[in-house]
Amino acid sequence: MDPTLLVLGALALSGAAATVAGCAEDLESDVGSQSNPNSQVQLGPQMGNIHRYFNKAISGEPVSYGLYVAAAGAVAWALLNMGLNVPIALIIGSGIAAFVHGAYSVSSYLGRIVGQSQNFGQPVYMDVVLSHLGPIVGHGFIAVFCMLLAAYLATSVLGNPFPLPLVALIFGITVGAIGSSTGDVHYGAEREYQKYPFGGGVPVANQGDIDIKAEYGIRNGMDSSYFCSKLGGPLTGLTFGLIIFLDGWRGIIGEIVGGDLVSKSIIAIVVGIVIVAIAAYLNRMVEVYARKKYGPYTDR
Amino acid sequence: MAIPLVEITLAGAIINASVHFVPVGGAPAAMATSTGVGTGTTQLAAGAGFTGLMAAAIMASQKGIDLSNPIHLAIILLSGAVGSMIMLALTMLLGQLIYVFGVGVVPAADKCEKDPITGDYQKSYITPGTTGHAVPTVCFISGLMGAALGGIGGGLAYIALKQLGFTSEVAGIIAVGFFFMNAVLASYNIGGTIEGFHDPKFKKIPNGIIASFIASLLTGVIVVGMSIGA
Repeated sequence: MDPTLLVLGALALSGAAATVAGCAEDLESDVGSQSNPNSQVQLGPQMGNIHRYFNKAISGEPVSYGLYVAAAGAVAWALLNMGLNVPIALIIGSGIAAFVHGAYSVSSYLGRIVGQSQNFGQPVYMDVVLSHLGPIVGHGFIAVFCMLLAAYLATSVLGNPFPLPLVALIFGITVGAIGSSTGDVHYGAEREYQKYPFGGGVPVANQGDIDIKAEYGIRNGMDSSYFCSKLGGPLTGLTFGLIIFLDGWRGIIGEIVGGDLVSKSIIAIVVGIVIVAIAAYLNRMVEVYARKKYGPYTDR
Repeated sequence: MAIPLVEITLAGAIINASVHFVPVGGAPAAMATSTGVGTGTTQLAAGAGFTGLMAAAIMASQKGIDLSNPIHLAIILLSGAVGSMIMLALTMLLGQLIYVFGVGVVPAADKCEKDPITGDYQKSYITPGTTGHAVPTVCFISGLMGAALGGIGGGLAYIALKQLGFTSEVAGIIAVGFFFMNAVLASYNIGGTIEGFHDPKFKKIPNGIIASFIASLLTGVIVVGMSIGA
């Protein structure tokens, strides 16, 4: 088979895996309340809002996902070198990472909530721990496995010179940075504050006044995951998938169109700059649309 | 030995400078309470920088690349810059979609009356009680400049380590640690949030560059020592 076609196929699979990984990562951070929006869950009881959200900002999302995916990558790398076949090595590596994830989640929830119990009256809900742990670890497993698959393809087919655990670490940090920058905004700025009218940022004076009631009953992390799966999760996945795909695709275009090494590289760089220019143009279009659609504040 | 040492020192200073350009609003931005991307300075700069580092490493591993050829070095650094810019451009764009369609806010910068690039008025679009939200054009362009510098800095550090004779694996791990070190130094200098080159905090950039210059020089001496011992 034509090697370029093989690389293109691997890149498409890698982009698809990255898309699923990004989406699962964001939804996991909504069920488990990770990263910056969790500051509001932490602040809630201090503002008199006793809640049933999970509470586990173990560390910044990039660092925690860097840890899980690197742990999975290191185990898989060791097993591959012992001669185990690829799918099983990746699954076992991701499984070990899921246990690490689960252990951190439980200890993080108990530590954070107990710290608020005495002074602010926030109870430790054991049923919240037990009911949320499955979705947290499950989404985390999907995210870690897909990233590990993308990292494996990068090292084995796509010419990445780094070893599997290092690529896994870098992918974990990158997906955490993306999830924290994109999908988490939907959870932090919209879902946690749905009782306020749509169409504004959260003023500092309202921070900590999070929604504690759901569409039906008392709100928990799984309600947030359901809501954010409509926009925040898919867009996070799309971001990571596009980054992996387009960054590799520009290299393949250079490979096909260019002649010698220098011309191939320059074409890849030019294609990259065109992609960035299109993104900048689209960003401006969205900005202009929002200014026209929502307009300025006139009642100051 | 002297050239890689100079490259590592410069790379550290460039990485530090790059972080100051990236528009990050930290935790408040995740609630659309401040302008910029809703994550931490170090995290976002590292996410973009590492994508650039991998793009540079893939280019450096191509057959026929000679690390002593200036044209090849320029290609590696530009590859790193473009890889990093793609990551940050798409993250800012898709984040912007969530701010506009998921939260319903208008991108608006708090640190300038008018966007210096588009000329759009900003203040009247800011939700009362907040310090702006989302990623207006000036922040987007500033972020792209920061990403390009981050990719160049990460790529330069990687090249220097390769020139010292480290394998790709070891050079990659040291470059990741080196990037984090300088990004954290920049983060201390910024102190939480920054909107980009139009933010008054940006004027503190010389302090950050000097700090990273010294720290990177020291790191460079240690790394050169490691390469002699290896």
